[in-house]
Amino acid sequence: MCNANGDKPVRLKRRPIAQSIENLDQLLSLEQGRMSRDVFWDKDIYEQEMERIFARCWLFVAHESQIPKAGDYVSTYMGEDNVLIVRQKDGSIKGFLNTCPHRGNKVCFADLGNARQFVCNYHGWAFGIDGGLKGMHASETYEAAGMDKSEHGLHPVAHVDSYRGLVFATLDPEAPSLAEYLGDMRYYLDAIFDMDEGGTEFIGGCVKSVIQCNWKYASENFVGDILHAGWTHDSGAKAMVGGPVAEVHKTPEQSYHVNFNGHGWEFNQDIVGNCATLGEKDLLKYLYVLQPKVAERLGEVRSRMIGAISSCTLFPNTSFLPGQNTFRTWHPRGPGQIELHTWTFVNKKAPQEIKDMWRKGTMMTFSPSGVFEMDDGENWEYSTRSNAGFVTRQQDLYLGLGHDTRVDNTDLPGNVFQGQINEANQRAFYQRWLDLMKADSWKTVPQRDVPKMKEGV
Amino acid sequence: MDVNGCALAVYNLDGTFYATQDGCTHATASLSEGEIVDDECIACPVHDGTFHIPTGQPMSFPCEHAIRTYKVIEDGEDILVDLDQESDAAADAI
Repeated sequence: MCNANGDKPVRLKRRPIAQSIENLDQLLSLEQGRMSRDVFWDKDIYEQEMERIFARCWLFVAHESQIPKAGDYVSTYMGEDNVLIVRQKDGSIKGFLNTCPHRGNKVCFADLGNARQFVCNYHGWAFGIDGGLKGMHASETYEAAGMDKSEHGLHPVAHVDSYRGLVFATLDPEAPSLAEYLGDMRYYLDAIFDMDEGGTEFIGGCVKSVIQCNWKYASENFVGDILHAGWTHDSGAKAMVGGPVAEVHKTPEQSYHVNFNGHGWEFNQDIVGNCATLGEKDLLKYLYVLQPKVAERLGEVRSRMIGAISSCTLFPNTSFLPGQNTFRTWHPRGPGQIELHTWTFVNKKAPQEIKDMWRKGTMMTFSPSGVFEMDDGENWEYSTRSNAGFVTRQQDLYLGLGHDTRVDNTDLPGNVFQGQINEANQRAFYQRWLDLMKADSWKTVPQRDVPKMKEGV
Repeated sequence: MDVNGCALAVYNLDGTFYATQDGCTHATASLSEGEIVDDECIACPVHDGTFHIPTGQPMSFPCEHAIRTYKVIEDGEDILVDLDQESDAAADAI
């Protein structure tokens, strides 16, 4: 279902692409596993990210379950652009910048709801759920001025599309399709968002918090860093489940890094490892009962991912944890701050008490007061803040684990690496970042990864 | 609908028919494109202000001036509108 807002003139005016920062190549030496700290601190790099990553990539904007009926909407962010994502009368989904094209005021102040129209507080410009300008206070004066209402709707997001209930949007009319953008990562997404017939839903509200860190520290952590868990989260794990984090570095033959187009997933095959940290035996039982059914539908490998020790980032800034069932977007707020939006996802057909246990579990672990979120936030804040030091900033960082772990003889899609204690996904994430930062349009972004999946699955 | 050059909005509230002017008194808008809310009010499709359908009275911001109502006469299958008379409810209020 592709809902390009294409039946009207594209009103998203784009300024000519700014001149690229010189010598971006010098920031990363991924073969050597080294990178510059400037990518986490430099304000010009941040500005270029806004243009070349956040105004260009497909970004997660909503879950279908949040907006089931016509007029249902959520207000969210694409980079620092506030957008409204709105269910239309024909069942499609459209997106608009949440700003009045008259004098720029924010049009909708609620986070989500159902609307018959969006009316600007400033001069009473009123927009339909399709974004069209329907009328204004003192409409006679506009009519006398000869103003054509059809030219002054809310600025549309270029494209909106969804995969397995996850709704994505892009601000770039030239972006590839969502299927092409996600590529082979869709194979793995099915393990979580299509493990049960009926798919998933978000339950409860959105929990928001602010962390004083660069957005990439959060994204790179979820894209492939299980290494930190055994150390960072040791005390939290002991408190929650009465034991240390599993020593996954001792069993690399049972675990993987996979990545595609900068998206990445680290996982093992233990079925319930992440879920076990919530301390609810009924959740483990639920997953163990479900696993053979998933194996029938999706095969053995994916069935063993449904709650395993694992994490995933969809490039650039959306991540989730199977088993712990937290889904999150790290919205950038300058080079040194993120606004973190999180939700709890569950299988729609799961019993209510199972859903409630997962919601309680995400609150205990991955909310602002959750034991693991607090651990992570402190690390990322100091990883960011230490770069304020001028000399500190000149020192490289290491990102070299897992060279020579590539697995070529496998049926698994994407780029596959042996062992989830690895930094292959992080390197792929930064390679994609560099490719986008250097390219002046989608046409010049190199397609490094060869898909095994067909586009329109 | 258009009756003799007069744009009308016709309502069916639980089987009882009402007619008012179609244009909103606040700004340019067609009330017949709006939604019936609170059982007997019409919400303007543009600014969501409301009018009481039986009497035409403005009920909520930004509506300030009543809309004109018309007497409806049901004649078997036909719904007739008397363009010279207010609705019964509006006339009673006067």
